[in-house]
Amino acid sequence: MLVPIFTLNLNQKIIPGRVCIGKYDTAHACLTASTTADKVFIHNPHQRLGITGGRMSLSQSSAEISLLNINQTVSAITAGVLTQPRHGDTLVVGTPTNVLAYDVQNNADVFYKDVSDGANAITIGKLGRHVSPLALIGGNCSIHGFDSEGNDPFWTVTGDNVSSLTLTDFDGDDENELLVGSEDFDIRVFKHEEILFEMSETEAVTALCPMHGSRFGYALANGTVGVYEKLSRWWRIKSKNHAIAIYSYDLDGDGVPELITGWSNGKIDARNDRSGEVVFKDNFQSTVAGIVQGDYRMDGKNQLICCSVDGEVRGYQPSTAESRYSMMDVNIEQETIRELSQRRHNLLLELKNYEENQRMGSSGEVVHGKPSTAGDQVGIIPANTQLQTGLAINMGSEEKNKPPHVEIALATTNDTVIRAVIIFAEGIFEGESHVYHPREHSLTSNIRVPLYPPKDVPVDLHIKSMVGYKGSLHYHVFELTRQLPRFSMYALCTTAVTQPQGSVSFRLSERVARIVMWVNSSFLLLEDLQADEEGGMEVSFLSLRSNLPLVIKADPQCHMSIYTDDMELAGDLIQALANYLNLDDLQVEADFPSEVDQLGAVLQRVEEYHATRQRLSAEMADHSGVIRTLVVRAEDARLMGDMQSMRQWYGELYNLNKDLISGYKIRCNNHQELLSCLKQVNQTIQKAGRLRAGKSKTSVISACRQAIKNSNVNALTKIIRTGSP
Amino acid sequence: MELSLTRVDYLQVGLTSPRCLRVLPSSTPKTQQKVVVGDQDGTVQLFSMKRGEVQNSFTTTSPKAITRLELGGALGTVKDKVFVSSGNEVRGYTKKGKQFLGFDTNLTEEIKSMYISGSDLLVCGDYVYNHYHDCQDSNYFLAADRINDIISLPAEKMKSLVPVLACEDRLLRVMKDSEVLYSVELPAPPTSLQLFYNDGGENGDQLLYGTSDGKIGLVQLGRGSAVHRWVSEGGSGTSGRVGGVTCMDHHDLTGDGVRELVVGREDGQLEVLAYEDGEEAPPTLRFSMSCSESVTAVQGAVVGNTGYDEVVASTYTGWVFGVTSEPMDRHLSSESGVVQISQDSKQKIQRLRDEIDDLQQRVLKERDQYQAATQSTFPGISAVPFFSVNDKMSLSRNDASYLLSLEVQTAIDNVLLQSDVPIDLLDVEKNSAVVSYSTCDPESGNFLLATYRCQANTTRLEVRIRTIEGQYGTLQAYITPRLQPKCCQVRQYKIKPLSLHSRVHSFDSTRPYNTLVLRGQFTLPEIHAWVVFCLPELPERTPATTQAEFTFISTFLDTQLHCVYSAGEAIFKSDNISTISILKDVLTKEATRKKVRLDISCEVSEDSVVHALHLLHPRLEAQLMLAKQVSLIEALRELGCHEADTSFLSPEYQHILDNADSLQAQYRKQPCHLERLYGMITDLYIDKFKFKGVNVKSQVPHLLEILDNYGSLSIQHLVNFFQA
Repeated sequence: MLVPIFTLNLNQKIIPGRVCIGKYDTAHACLTASTTADKVFIHNPHQRLGITGGRMSLSQSSAEISLLNINQTVSAITAGVLTQPRHGDTLVVGTPTNVLAYDVQNNADVFYKDVSDGANAITIGKLGRHVSPLALIGGNCSIHGFDSEGNDPFWTVTGDNVSSLTLTDFDGDDENELLVGSEDFDIRVFKHEEILFEMSETEAVTALCPMHGSRFGYALANGTVGVYEKLSRWWRIKSKNHAIAIYSYDLDGDGVPELITGWSNGKIDARNDRSGEVVFKDNFQSTVAGIVQGDYRMDGKNQLICCSVDGEVRGYQPSTAESRYSMMDVNIEQETIRELSQRRHNLLLELKNYEENQRMGSSGEVVHGKPSTAGDQVGIIPANTQLQTGLAINMGSEEKNKPPHVEIALATTNDTVIRAVIIFAEGIFEGESHVYHPREHSLTSNIRVPLYPPKDVPVDLHIKSMVGYKGSLHYHVFELTRQLPRFSMYALCTTAVTQPQGSVSFRLSERVARIVMWVNSSFLLLEDLQADEEGGMEVSFLSLRSNLPLVIKADPQCHMSIYTDDMELAGDLIQALANYLNLDDLQVEADFPSEVDQLGAVLQRVEEYHATRQRLSAEMADHSGVIRTLVVRAEDARLMGDMQSMRQWYGELYNLNKDLISGYKIRCNNHQELLSCLKQVNQTIQKAGRLRAGKSKTSVISACRQAIKNSNVNALTKIIRTGSP
Repeated sequence: MELSLTRVDYLQVGLTSPRCLRVLPSSTPKTQQKVVVGDQDGTVQLFSMKRGEVQNSFTTTSPKAITRLELGGALGTVKDKVFVSSGNEVRGYTKKGKQFLGFDTNLTEEIKSMYISGSDLLVCGDYVYNHYHDCQDSNYFLAADRINDIISLPAEKMKSLVPVLACEDRLLRVMKDSEVLYSVELPAPPTSLQLFYNDGGENGDQLLYGTSDGKIGLVQLGRGSAVHRWVSEGGSGTSGRVGGVTCMDHHDLTGDGVRELVVGREDGQLEVLAYEDGEEAPPTLRFSMSCSESVTAVQGAVVGNTGYDEVVASTYTGWVFGVTSEPMDRHLSSESGVVQISQDSKQKIQRLRDEIDDLQQRVLKERDQYQAATQSTFPGISAVPFFSVNDKMSLSRNDASYLLSLEVQTAIDNVLLQSDVPIDLLDVEKNSAVVSYSTCDPESGNFLLATYRCQANTTRLEVRIRTIEGQYGTLQAYITPRLQPKCCQVRQYKIKPLSLHSRVHSFDSTRPYNTLVLRGQFTLPEIHAWVVFCLPELPERTPATTQAEFTFISTFLDTQLHCVYSAGEAIFKSDNISTISILKDVLTKEATRKKVRLDISCEVSEDSVVHALHLLHPRLEAQLMLAKQVSLIEALRELGCHEADTSFLSPEYQHILDNADSLQAQYRKQPCHLERLYGMITDLYIDKFKFKGVNVKSQVPHLLEILDNYGSLSIQHLVNFFQA
């Protein structure tokens, strides 16, 4: 077992996930983390930091700790080389409204910028062909890249709130790509502004870390951690605890970094990047707050440094070749034997099951058809029992208060009944499973389980059904896996529907037959669709969620049109189709009048909110002036012994204070509204981008950005429609 | 001094029942001893270890599971005869494997526990105790509740036979012939007995007991009464909850001439505790190890290698292993950095591998055959035998919640918990399983549907459950192991109407009581069945006496319930009116269902309500205080990080700041405690007026308002509201 080479107690609370380390004077590593009371502390055991004053103050309790007043909730923190390397690392602190780049050594701001989308995640480094390093700030649906001057040469949008960011050379071209994890469960790889790849996960992506080569680790909000090599997931594990921090560090000294995970229950483990096997673990008394590496002992080597929320810090050193084997459990031979015996034991048990089965079968005494009770000690069903499954769309019923849904029909082939069904699937239930367990007296051999997938993603359903007889204590478990097609929540319309206003049209150099194949595989259809006599295709669906129609048309020349009022759905369809047909680039003509109107209205509201904000700020400045005067007057009165006026002045001060507080509340609300509007704008741009594929997609996004900067709503509308300004 | 011990596996047998492993004594100290183990497949084997290899001395089989294995011999000689109980038979073997005794006890129940003292054989079934002297039936006793263990004080020191029964109703029954001499009340149901220091101490009258909630205690059994010496809560103290004690032994592992206590627990903990003050004080923990499945037997001995003391233990799934003081790394050569595996082990591993390959082939063939049968039209059957499940659901007095533990002989794949009553599942720190709650449609009669997906190699799952008194029904667990062909087994647990009550043996008659009297045409078995339906910790069997008397205490409130019933009449007394109200509702319903006419009379004591409120008051106050303190912690900490010196704070705040972590831990440990108390008070209020025939549901919001402001009001305020 590896023991920490140093432990410290900082006596500071640390907010989980807000930990970084920086060499602010180019030489000494300082652990930096966000603590209570909106402060950031810098632990500098090696050298006193220069100047206090300004933002910086020394901690009263410990000489090694300096505190930075941020006065806003710290939402992300990181340190890295942003200016020139000889100046040391710059500390970048993100809050819900601002981003601060701070030169710790000189106690001065490098820049302080408003980011209206907030800063949920920050990373510093070189991105793509940008010469100078950038501080990349992930906010609500948008990503800003600031250089040391505070300019933002990089900007793009993504599907949902960014929850994690990292830089890594994903495609091996010696240029860094940006990996973005967001709350819509996706990990996106950005090369410059363009999305190179998208990987769908099953929960919000809370952390990403680059590993060896194009490998990277990820963590999800549901307690999953894992490792991807490019687009393929090598392994993942799920725990009931949450991964707070992940980091890659070569702890066993074999030249390949392991994935180090810090858990909410205080556990730290290091897992082999290839197999996910635990090679090392340790326990903190409280939740792990962060993991970094740095040369904290000034011996020229980097240690792995783990911190807990209570301020406990432990440093670990990679094991050398000699000590490596002692780290392995000395009982390797014991373990091997135990594992082998366990396997033998399991095989023997299974064999016993088959033997018993045959013995009973050949004896002919036992009959099936009755429940197996405690006295029987055996569960019997007919050998040829089969479980049949089917997926279908159920339009629901008004009186039973059941909305339209997809259902799985399960049926056994004889008199056995289905006691219960457990469906394990990710992303479509609240937890990871859904249980169907009817009352004892209403058991049948034929059941239907309703499903309501909230998103259009293909889902693997792992179905376990318990088959036996009524009143039994023992059931046979039938396990099978079915895939739910991506667009299963759209029912085929046989009657004519009114064509929706919104539409996208484009031309594909493909055969209609392949489009038909795509439709057959992505929608839940009772029988396969065929192209009509002329070789064209027209098919209409009804969304089970919103009850809105969707029409897909293709003429024999493969001019395609998709009619729907839901721009997001159109985007999903196009992305899925582009994926299916391996399209490099796709430009479309889009027309979503309602969406565009809405965007106009939102932009107008954004403007209003901005105005309100300015007005409120001015008011606040006024008030603070008045406060100063009131305080002075009241104190004067007190010194003069004029209690009556003092009371009066303080009374006024009190009223003013109340005004300020209510003003603050309005400001908060205003800010919330503003945020949600900006998010909508970003999402609309993202949706407009998703209507295209490849280069066209990137150019739409940057053109939209330009239009918004110039507040040119007309241009924006045009870009969304045609794809170019 | 910390002990450093390492685990060495010896072999795997079938599932083992508790205490079916013993080590034969050796004539010279520190030489290798032989181990005898019996399993549920009926196999008894005696083995020794020779250079890491198992050497079998003898193996016998019988059709029935071995339920207990003891050593015996004539008094004053070495105990090296092996006695096993199986079904209702007791057999004896010499250490050479020769059977010298085959004795059919003719008991109606299967033997569950057994003890041998010279030529006296003591056996117990579930409820009966029988004493045979030279195989002649001498004494017989029928206990009121399940017998968990039996022992007799050392005959050499006591000059007479003093058997002691450990019973589920929290009593040690000290026997004299066929009568109970006296009984000793314990804090929890005893599960295991062991003579103190293996010899009963100086006078042979000291007895250790282990309980189902993990306590270990020492009692001194005198001629007419017993003295409690100490009780140890047990465990390393970090998790706060320890597993029940299954087995104990004493052995000198440290080599200091004093024997240590070795304890095996249900939750897989194996502990070594040292007596630092002899018999005067509880021992202190020196070593603890987790083996992730129940430990069924422990004994100190020398088995693996001459000269090294160790603890030999067996687990539920049949692993027999040693926890030895022998340093393990001496097999390894550290210079090369390569782990050297000895030639013997290599061969052993290779043999195992070959065997597995062979088995794999056979299994594949059988699997295909089985699959083929499912396709054929020939009307065959698919019969899969039950897998063994070792399950237990027990009420813990400390936090008024249930602990459900499930243990299977092979790795668990998933467990589905379904309940038709509202219950809450609480997280158990030890579990690694991923829990997922499924939405429940009340129409389908489900109030809880939760799946536990277990990680690889999990054979044991623990779930903590919080019940609500008055709501009763069934909790079902569908357990699916990772064994082909995939099957699942259903286990059912009754959630009783008064689920948070637990048995005691003393009744405080000075409290103000409400009385419920039932009269009607019912027999004792009938009324007993109804009471069992309502209350936990009662024997299923109808008491043999004409009148039954039981006392219970509410684990949450400490109110009492006293039940006295016989054929035709039943009297229930409780100082909590809600308890009486629940009993009345449930019993009426049950009687109506059975079509028995009942004459019910209720006597409500006004004082009891005030009394119950006074019982609630300190708890409520403590909880409110705790909640307040916890809410202040963050703010105080912020102050603390600004100021170097916090001495300007008031003592109260300083106290909070100093104990912040323990306060938070305490707060986390009792989630929803306040809500539960509020619920109790509301029930009390509604029930009080229900007996008067007044519906006060509309007043409840008013009551809750008072409770929300309780911190600033006095108890009198609440009492006034109740009496208004």
